Amino acid sequence: MEIIVLTINGQKVTCPSGASLLQAAEKNGIKIPTLCYHPDLKPHGACRVCLVEDEKTGRLMASCVTPAAQDMSILTATPKILNHRRNIVRLMMAEHPESCIVCSKGNRCELRNIAASLGVGETGLYPMPNYTPYEQLNPFIIRDLSKCILCGKCIRADHELVVTGAIDYNHRGFHSRPATFYEKPLEDSICTFCGTCVSICPTGALSVKNTRYVGTPEKEINSICGFCSVGCSLKMGIAGGKIVEVNPSKRKISVNGATLCIRGHFANDFINSADRLTQPMIKKQDENSNDKHIPVSWEDAFEIVTTRLSEIKREHGPDSIAFIGSSKCSNEENFLFQKIARDIFETGNIVGTGYASGQKLLAYIDERTHGSCRVNALADLEGAEVVFVIHSDLESIVPVADYHVKRAAKKGARMILVDPFKTDLAALSALWIRPDMSKGHRMNTSGLINSLARKIVDGNFQDTDFINQYTFGLDPYVASLANFDAEKITEKHTWSPEIVKQAFELVKGRKVAFVVGAYTLNDPDGKQLIDAVINFSFLTGGMGAKGAGIYIPVAENNLVGAMDMGAVPDLLPGRVKMPSEKYMGLDMGAFITCIESGKIKAAYIMGENLLRSLPQPDRVAATFGKLDLLVVQDIVCNRTTQIADVILPGAAVYEKYGSFTNMEGRIQTFKPVVSPPGNAREDWDILSQVVKGMGYPEQYHTIEKIRQEIRLKIPMYQGLGNQQQDWIKNNESDNPFLSTHVKFSFLPAVPAISAAFDASYPLIAKISSPRFHLGSGTRTSRSERIRAYDRKGEIEISTADCGALGLNSSGRVRIKSEFGSIEREFIQNRHLPAGLVFIPMGVNHNDAMNLVGLGQKAHPNSAGCMLSRVLIEKI
Amino acid sequence: MDPKEIDWNKLTAIIEKHRTQKWSLIPLLQEVQEVYGYIPPEAIEPIAESLKMLPAQVQGVATFYSGFSLKPKGKCVLKVCRGTACHVKGSRSILRHVKKELHLEEGETSEDYQFTLETVACLGACFLAPTMMVNREYYGKLNPTKVTSVLGQYSKNKEDDG
Repeated sequence: MEIIVLTINGQKVTCPSGASLLQAAEKNGIKIPTLCYHPDLKPHGACRVCLVEDEKTGRLMASCVTPAAQDMSILTATPKILNHRRNIVRLMMAEHPESCIVCSKGNRCELRNIAASLGVGETGLYPMPNYTPYEQLNPFIIRDLSKCILCGKCIRADHELVVTGAIDYNHRGFHSRPATFYEKPLEDSICTFCGTCVSICPTGALSVKNTRYVGTPEKEINSICGFCSVGCSLKMGIAGGKIVEVNPSKRKISVNGATLCIRGHFANDFINSADRLTQPMIKKQDENSNDKHIPVSWEDAFEIVTTRLSEIKREHGPDSIAFIGSSKCSNEENFLFQKIARDIFETGNIVGTGYASGQKLLAYIDERTHGSCRVNALADLEGAEVVFVIHSDLESIVPVADYHVKRAAKKGARMILVDPFKTDLAALSALWIRPDMSKGHRMNTSGLINSLARKIVDGNFQDTDFINQYTFGLDPYVASLANFDAEKITEKHTWSPEIVKQAFELVKGRKVAFVVGAYTLNDPDGKQLIDAVINFSFLTGGMGAKGAGIYIPVAENNLVGAMDMGAVPDLLPGRVKMPSEKYMGLDMGAFITCIESGKIKAAYIMGENLLRSLPQPDRVAATFGKLDLLVVQDIVCNRTTQIADVILPGAAVYEKYGSFTNMEGRIQTFKPVVSPPGNAREDWDILSQVVKGMGYPEQYHTIEKIRQEIRLKIPMYQGLGNQQQDWIKNNESDNPFLSTHVKFSFLPAVPAISAAFDASYPLIAKISSPRFHLGSGTRTSRSERIRAYDRKGEIEISTADCGALGLNSSGRVRIKSEFGSIEREFIQNRHLPAGLVFIPMGVNHNDAMNLVGLGQKAHPNSAGCMLSRVLIEKI
Repeated sequence: MDPKEIDWNKLTAIIEKHRTQKWSLIPLLQEVQEVYGYIPPEAIEPIAESLKMLPAQVQGVATFYSGFSLKPKGKCVLKVCRGTACHVKGSRSILRHVKKELHLEEGETSEDYQFTLETVACLGACFLAPTMMVNREYYGKLNPTKVTSVLGQYSKNKEDDG
């Protein structure tokens, strides 16, 4: 890059060519005030506050939009400039209402700060406030556009960063205002309530709606969001010992930059919920022999847990105890938890709900790619050539990853989308492949990718250098592709030869970044899909290349970390395979059946509300009644704690030390922002007390002690805790890019299992979290704002099926699957194809799980884990 | 004419015509405005989709230019000039007279969608001041009697059509 020399305020400075005058000044520590400028947004030049003067000509220029040129001589604070700036600010103030005293932006208002620094008090101009109605019906954002200064930051953030397009300027001149489509209120528009506009707004035009007035935060502390696997950096505003505001952190190294999503921005008020557990409790029977929880001291609680667990181990053997870890808990906690299970109680029965959401296949991917997919930065997507998104529901599960994909598409990456549902990616994709699932078909995306691979081989577009250097086993793979002739295979499947041809035109000769939805990992043919994707990445040399390879946007914040820590039945810490099958623990389905059969007598659950999150909740509840001892460590009173024998109150993410590993392989540490409520304790601390109570020789009094052991035992995590974030390290001897001794291996392509059409359950339902819910009812469901949002969770039925079922535009229906039935309101969705139904989770006590079976994915005819075959009846 | 009835076939044809052109949004909106007399808000979504734009963006453009209207306009659009020259020549009373004759305020459309009353900053015909336009016709050197006769001419047209 060329370096330019110019003079700013008489000082010789340098900057790279292409930089604006503002950037050149900032780089050299010269401050120029701005209002409409934001480093993540394209310069706009709307506010004119950043005016500078050309020393030679005396011309005034907006520095944010003027490129720096060689030998320029610039002045940034001459009396002439200051005079102009003052006048600009005076004009803005004249249009601004005089409501500063009740404005929640307070002293953080950029307009007020700039006015103060320029010495503008009274404007001396005729006030012309532009009153617009206050909009605050939604529980998240207050819009008071009277205070809008038309900097366009909200609009540009919406278009450039979040790529939703909910708002744009409407009208002109004095009447110009940001508006939604049809000027509807935000809750009726396509706004996703990501809150990015609120954080970026320089004035009080957009502000967060608090459930009560809380004032300006006293201080701000960085943390990591604990909802999904993106792991956004947060800046938590604290007032009176409580978190009152959440904004994206200004840390340069964050995944999210200036963006967040509805959960991260608005749902973290769950930690102030009145249902928080604050005291250890044990179940006792009162005089009427009703079960009742009574508070006890921590010492008594630990005493009961350790003695009862030891007794049960002695009486029924180690394998009568099961430990349920959580992919919501930190690395340190999961590490300690599996240690308690394996080293102290000598059982392999350690599992988490993440195991049911595809951890097993994630481990398989890791094995086949020799760890080359462990680390894949989302930011690299923006330079991708082709992005291939497979049934991923990014917009609801991992919204910030969704923004990355959308930005990639906007920046020119060719996007191929395979999804029967219309998501926000559809409009941006170069090719939207919409599998026809009306006849009970599965998507058979593996067949599509294998057909593409065959076309690549036929057209000789494979990356021969990559294949020769890093892989083996190409020939059997190429031979197996003979079964995947697009012209032949498509007859009985869900896409046409024409579509394969179009997709081929987009991918040929290019490297592909695959984004594979985590739910697909649980499909009965998830393994075939993964194999197809991995083979394709080897064939085209995408594996390990920047802006290519495989991204798995899993749902839970620490699903990857929990697996790395070994809180899974089939892996030891550090993704080490079990030496023998006999050491393997139970998976979630087997855990329930083993309680039913009486093999399991006690369970220790950390951070999971299984009575809500597992399929067939009634069966699970009845099963748990059979346990001799149920210990539950959680943050809020929930259905599982209600039947627990011992309740241990833990701490939420923002109240403890820990670290999470996100979907990219980024290990991020965090520290407490506030203290846990009442007598609740940090979860790692509770576990360390259990370790101590069991008389284990090692003691873990500090988080650092646990981290030391992790660094020692898990080489992948050698950077843990050294700084705020680090990346998973690959083992040099086991990575084809680092060592010549190992190579990637092609596997022959296998046709997908075809499912029979079951006429008694003709529809396929996607049972999935809407954007504002995630997890098992202990966080988003306890957020006052999300509760106030009050979505009924209507199921969505296609117009065609509504017609076939004789349904009107809305009403109530009964949904049945082979496992159970629920009743819900429904709405017609004209974007849904026939045969598909969407059932949102997380509402009505998560009753949707009644439709799913435990261990359903093993069933060869099932539609997939989060896809269920259902029947809909009119009520 | 019932403004709520939109001939979707016509709209599809207009969209198809402009879909592949570069910078086609404004010509497209102009044609829609020409054919329907306004831009039906329901048309914004299909237009945005075909041009791979966001509906809010299309709406932003449509509301920016006063040449586009999202509300149905009358058959005869009156533009009374309120420029300096016309003002000096008494355009304020011309406007008052039009308002009284049509029972309309500025920006309003009559219930039978015959007239829409608008004011403009200058029609560029100052030598004819005070002046107004009805659709594409200029009427200059106005006085109240002339205004009444012009308006009568246009309401008579309506009876002819009927």
